[in-house]
Parts: sequence; C-alpha cells; structure tokens
Amino acid sequence: MTSLYKLVGGVSLLALLGGCASLSGDGGFGAVASVSEQRTGAPASVAGRLPRNEDDARALAAVIGKKLEQPLSADDAVQVALLNNRGLQATYWSLGVAEADLVQAGRVQNPVLDFKRSHGGGEVGIERTLTFNLVGLITAPMASRIEGRRFEQTKLLVSNEALKVAADTRRAWVDAVAAAQIADYAKQVEASAQASAELSERMRKAGNWSALDMAREQAYHAQTVADVTHTQKAAVAAREKLTRLLGLSGEQAAYRLPDHLPDLPAAPRELANVEQAAVDERLDIQAAKLDTEQTASTLGLTRTTRFINVLDLGAVRNTDGPTATRGYELTLEIPLFDWGSARVARAEATYMQSVNQLAQAAVQARSEARASYADYRASYDLARHYRDRVLPLRKQISEQTLLRYNGMLMSVFELLADAREQATAVSGYIGALRDYWIAQANLEAAQGGRLSTNKGVQP
Amino acid sequence: MTDRRSFLSGAALIGAGMVTKAAVASLPEAPVQSSPATQAPLSPPNGRPYNPVVTLNGWTLPWRMKDGVKEFHLVAEPVVREIAPGMTANLWGYNGQSPGPTIEVVEGDRVRIFVTNKLPEHTSVHWHGQRLPNGMDGVTGLTQPGIPPGKTFVYEFVAKHAGTFMYHPHADEMAQMAMGMMGFWVTHPRDPKQHAVDRDFVFLLNAYDIDPGSYTPKINTMTDFNLWTFNSRAFPGIDPMVVRKDDRVRIRVGNLTMTNHPVHLHGHTFEVTGTDGGWVRPAARWPEVTTDIAVGQMRAIEFIADEPGDWSFHCHKSHHTMNAMGHSVPTMIGVDHSGVAEKINNLVPGYMVMGDKGAAMDGMQMPLPENTLPMMTGDGPFGGLDMGGMFTVVKVREGLARNDYKDPGWYKHPPGSVAHEWTGELPPAPRAPGAPPAKASEAMDVKRDGDMHHHH
Ligand SMILES: [Cu+2]
Repeated sequence: MTSLYKLVGGVSLLALLGGCASLSGDGGFGAVASVSEQRTGAPASVAGRLPRNEDDARALAAVIGKKLEQPLSADDAVQVALLNNRGLQATYWSLGVAEADLVQAGRVQNPVLDFKRSHGGGEVGIERTLTFNLVGLITAPMASRIEGRRFEQTKLLVSNEALKVAADTRRAWVDAVAAAQIADYAKQVEASAQASAELSERMRKAGNWSALDMAREQAYHAQTVADVTHTQKAAVAAREKLTRLLGLSGEQAAYRLPDHLPDLPAAPRELANVEQAAVDERLDIQAAKLDTEQTASTLGLTRTTRFINVLDLGAVRNTDGPTATRGYELTLEIPLFDWGSARVARAEATYMQSVNQLAQAAVQARSEARASYADYRASYDLARHYRDRVLPLRKQISEQTLLRYNGMLMSVFELLADAREQATAVSGYIGALRDYWIAQANLEAAQGGRLSTNKGVQP
Repeated sequence: MTDRRSFLSGAALIGAGMVTKAAVASLPEAPVQSSPATQAPLSPPNGRPYNPVVTLNGWTLPWRMKDGVKEFHLVAEPVVREIAPGMTANLWGYNGQSPGPTIEVVEGDRVRIFVTNKLPEHTSVHWHGQRLPNGMDGVTGLTQPGIPPGKTFVYEFVAKHAGTFMYHPHADEMAQMAMGMMGFWVTHPRDPKQHAVDRDFVFLLNAYDIDPGSYTPKINTMTDFNLWTFNSRAFPGIDPMVVRKDDRVRIRVGNLTMTNHPVHLHGHTFEVTGTDGGWVRPAARWPEVTTDIAVGQMRAIEFIADEPGDWSFHCHKSHHTMNAMGHSVPTMIGVDHSGVAEKINNLVPGYMVMGDKGAAMDGMQMPLPENTLPMMTGDGPFGGLDMGGMFTVVKVREGLARNDYKDPGWYKHPPGSVAHEWTGELPPAPRAPGAPPAKASEAMDVKRDGDMHHHH
C-alpha cells in the first residue's frame, strides 16, 4: 500500500482564478431594475434594492399607500405591481441564485485532504491523500464563462418577467376599468327599463294598458336586472385579477379606479419597422440568443476537452514509515472505447436545438409584432368609428326622438327604449376603447416594452 | 291675399321669360304662381263673361284667345308647396303649385289645353266629370299614349255643360295624385245670372303622408295619412273664407283623397246645390250643416251668410283636423307620473310629462323635428284653437266691399254675447232616479275657483 500526498500544481493559475468573481451585493438586481424601468417607465424598487427587512417593507408600504390615495392610474398600477407583485419578487431573488452560481463557478474547488491511520501487527500506518480536481482548475475559466452567460440570461429573463407582469397589469387595469364602466351603464339601462316598467304599471292601473302590454315592459326590466348582475360579476372578476397582479390585500384591496377609460389618442402610432424592433428589443429573444451562444461555447468546450475532462493530474508525496518518496501520478483515460464522440454529438445536437429555438422565437416575435400592430391599428379604427360615427348618430337619434316625443309623434316608451339603445351604443364604445388600450399593451409587449414613440399616450 | 293687380303683374313677369319660346312654338305662355296665398278672382279679360271663383290658397290660370278658342298651357312639374308656415313639401303639380291653377271656362267654350310634361315619368290629364270626345279623356293606355317627359300634348274639346269639375293624371295615378297632381275646373253657365252667387269659393281636399322631418310624401300610404289639407294647405295655413253679411255664398269642394270627408259649417244651414253630375233641382235640395263628400266626388254647397262672426268650417273626422301625430302613441290620460318623471328626466334630459291630462298642448312651444307642423295649433282671440289639417274659418262681416276678400281680423262680439264663467250659485245637477250620488272628482274641483276649496 502506498500513501500518497497529492499536491496541487499550477499555483499561479489558482491565484488568478480565485480573484476573478465575487458577489455583487444586490444579486444583479440593479441591472434588471434598470432594464425594467427603461422599458416600463416604472422603477422596480423603492430604495434601488430588493426589500429585505422591516424598514424596507415599511418604506414600500408607504410608497404604495401614497399611490392608492388617488384613483389608480394605469402607470401607477404598473408601478405598484413591479414593487409589490410577490411572484415577481420571487423571480427577482432567482437573480441572486444565478449570481451565486456564477461566483461559485469561478472559485476553484477546495482541495480534499484524506487522512487514514491504521493499526496492524503493532504497526501504525498513516495514509494522507490530498486530492484536487485538476480538471476543475483547467475548466474553471470556461465554467465561469458559462455561468456568466447564464447569469446574463437570467437577468434578461427576470427583466422579461418584470415586463410581462407590467403588461399583464396594464391589460388587467384596462379590463377592470372597462368592466366597471360597462356595469355602470348596465345600471343606467336598468334604470330606464325600471322607469318604463313602473310607468307601464301605472298605465295598467289607469286602465290604459292590457296585462300583455304591461308584462312586456316588465319582462324587459327583469332582463336588464339580470344583465346588471352579469356585468357586476364580470367587473368583480376583472378587478380581482388586477388586485392579484398588484399584490394587494386587506385594506389596500379597497383601492379606487378611475370612472372611465382614458380617451382615444388623437392619432394612432405609426410604427415603421415593427418586426425588426421586436427582434432587436425583446428580452426573450436576447435571452434565447445568449442561450445559443452558451450552447455554442459548451460545444467548443466539449470538443476541446473530450479527453481532458477525465484526466486526473496529481502531485504525489508519499510517506511510508520514516522515508518519504515524491513523484506524480498521471491517469489518462485511453480513448479506446469512448472517443468522446457521443458527448460531442450530444453537445452539437443541443446546440442545434438551441439555434432552432432561437429561430423559432424570432419567427414568433416577428409574427406577434405584425399581428399586434395590425390589431392595434384596427382597434384604433374601430374605437374611432364608435366615437366619431356610432355615438354621434345615436345622440342625433336621441335628439330627434325627443323632438318627436315633443310633437306627440312618439311615446315616452320610445324615448326610454332609445335611452336604452343609446346606453348599449356607449357600452359598445367602452368595449372598443378597452380593446384599443389592450391592443396597445399587447403591441408594447410584442415590441419588448414601452413604445419609444408612445410617450404621453399611456392609459 | 295679394290683390289682383299684383297677381297679374307677377304672372306677367314670370311668364315674360316664356314669351319668345312660346311664340316660336306657338304655344300660349304658361304662367307660374309661386305664392300659396289666395289670389283674387280673375275677371275674364275676353271671351264670354262669367262670375269668377276664388280658389282657396290658389289661383286661376290665365288663357289666350286664338281664333275663338281658349288656349291654356299646363306644365306638369315638381313644385315646392308651403303646406303651412314652417313646413314645405316636395310635390308634383302644375305651373308652380299643387294643386294646379283653377281652369275657368264658360259653357260652350271651345277649349284647347297644352300639357307639357316636365316630370321624370309620363303623365296625362283626365278631365274629371267632363263630357268630351273619348280620345280627350286622358286615360293613358286606354284613350291616349302617356305624355313622355319633355313632350307637350294638346287636348281640345267643347265645355258642354256648366258645372264643377276637376283635373288629375290618369297615368301612374297613385303616385302622381299622392304627389299632389290635381286641379279644379269650373265651367260657368252661359248666362252669368244663372245660379249667380256673391262669393264662390273652390278647393280640393287632399291628403299627404309626410314623415316628420322629411319633405316628400310617402306615396304608398293608403289610409294612414298625417296631413289632411284643403288645396294642399293645412290649418293654420288655410286662409279664411271672408264673406259679406247676407252674401249668398257658394263653396265647391272636390275630394281627391282616399277617404270621405264630412264637411261641416257652423252657425248656418246650407244646401247641397251641385255635384259633379250637375246642379241639384231646388226641390231636391236638403238642408244640411254637414255634407259628406265621398272619394272622387264634388259638392257645391250654398248658404246665406246671415250670421256675423267667425264660423268654423272643417271636416268632422277629428283626426282630419290634426296635423302630423303619432297614431300608435298610447293614451297617457290619468297615468300618475310622480317619481317616474324624475327618473326619466335623469335618462332623457329635456323630457317633459305630456298627455297625462289629455292631448291639448296649452300653447306649449316645444321644439319639433324640422319641417313638422305642431299636431294642433292656431291661435284665436281666446287662446289656442287646438286645430290643424282640414279646418278654416268663414268670416261673416257687415259692410265689406263686393270684391273685398281681405282678412278682417277676429270678430268683435257684441257685449254679453260670449260664453263666460259662471260665478253665482250652482243649482244641483239633476240625476236619474236611482242613480248613485255623483263622486266629487278632482277635475271638477280644478275647474272651480281657487277659494272654493281648500283641500289641495
Ligand atoms: Cu276629413
């Protein structure tokens, strides 16, 4: 039996490695926060870092409380979500995990000392082995590079998650405001139907109407009561969806929203190169690019280290009794059965997978950009049609109906029926306006964040 | 009412532009009248003498004599007629008006009528009630081809019988008459003394369905018309018939609507003296205050205007003394609006409760759709008349000049001759034996003097 001292060689290399990576302190959050703020227009933290303690929590609560004093605007909703959405917070912390991995990768694995003492026949045998994974030493720069990319990728994905939460929040805000507005109009319709029903009852009492006439009016009213409940259900659901995204509960869940959606902008955005912008700007595409680069690098590594990664290089110092011997030991895998070709093939396949995934992501992004832009323009046109044609015509009809009522050419019931129809048209407009703002949020998401040309027309 | 001089000079002026053209074509000029006011009677400048008629809100067509033949020129054309102040209609008519001008001739006259068609479709003129050669009867397809747009046809016959007649197309009749194509025709007796009266008014009954806010009649309407008119005028657009006390007055009415009209005169009894078949023998005349004029009929009524005052003259179908109204508007009388009215007002700003006490508008001036006459209107010396459509006033006054048709204003009643409020003790209202005692109704209380009740 030999007792071996395995010594570490290449000390200078070790020293070099030891100093190349350290923890940033914010787990990479600063970088993400800056991307997210640049894309959403809203800072992702109160103090420039993630809340860790009671003081941070209080500061956050204060900021959110201040926002909730006013009816919550869409921008404020996005802001609150970025600060307060717990799912997003959890994602922010995954940055810390990725960074720790990176730093870990950059550190050389500690040497392992193995000490063995044995008794036998009055002899004491001491075996000391110091092992060090040299391949780690050799591959450390590469591993560090890989983890570096992975960290970059994580930052992008986390930033992208923030954008997604921002877009979801914006859509949920639009839905919640619109649903409340539609529920309000349903109440107005119900009020007109109720006036009709009441009047029909009095018509019946005065002997002017049959039971059939009265039942018709009252059946209509009963239907509108059902409609009110439907729209109120939808309004509650839409609001709760927003509340979840905002991460609000308790008293804070009683936040107020504006009574109505923002007006349609004077003109829609003219975007020249939506596809290119999407490919250039979208963080998921950038992350996919990084992934591809990373697998490319892994492939290169595998190619060069197909044998070395199984090489054990050791410096040996053996003490056996009073005499010590020195030497080294080299274990070289003989590529007799495994030439590493399978590993290379696997890496190549993985790489090609990644390349295709990137291409797919790009195709998807371009299509989404085209589709969302087309939808955005069509939604604008539709909302404008409602605003400029449908509503003015309904208003004209109402005015003319009133004139006819004045001339005893039409009855009050026709007046009330018209009021209901007008409210329906207004609901149509609210729906179209809602679709427009959602289309804009979708377009932004498909373009990788806030539209650079879109300042000042946010809902 | 314009006087005769301005009427004639106006006609000459408008006709002047046609002289050269008409001379070239050797057609008589086709004078045009644009005013809807009643024009003074046209005394015959040549030919046989006669007592001219007054066309209510209309005029008589001048003619020219050519080789002993009376030549008239009718131009069938689209016109804009003022139905009443504040409302005009896009109609079809003749020589600038609907109805067209009255044609007056004398028994035995040879008459030649040029008809120029300026309508977008063919037309013809049927001389309703006349005895004439079959080929002059004006029935498209049957007695003549239609007059194509842009063409002129000529009709020629002898006005054999004195009487009251009409003219109207017998081509696409439903559309053309619904659009206002019609006119009056009077053939005077050869002897002006025969059947002579002091004042002789003529007009046609017509009806239109013009949707509130629009201008052109709905020609497919069959019964539910909303404008009932004398000579395409609705009250308050119909001129009064001004007569001198003790005048013998004749009113000739022709019905070209799709329903009958019981025409009713207040304050006098009259006799029906003529139909489109001719004069009624004196022994066969019935005293009447209302005479029904069936579709396509003519009636001449006569009375002595011996009662001074402002006397209603109207169709007795009460919907025919209304202007455009909603025929499917439910009755609101007696319906309590309290509470509901405010709710409706929240939804419909500008809404006012109407109809809960009846349909009278009490002079309420509410904005209406464009080109729409109030349902009932017209102001008299004692307030609103609540009338529209086929309604006017016969104004009987003492001491008018023979040819004075000017509106004398409202009648000044001799003192004590107007119904007035009773303020004295009321005798108990007798009731049928065994009838339940009368309920004190709200309406009765409202009519009483304010200090007589305190429970309001
Ligand atoms: Cu009538």
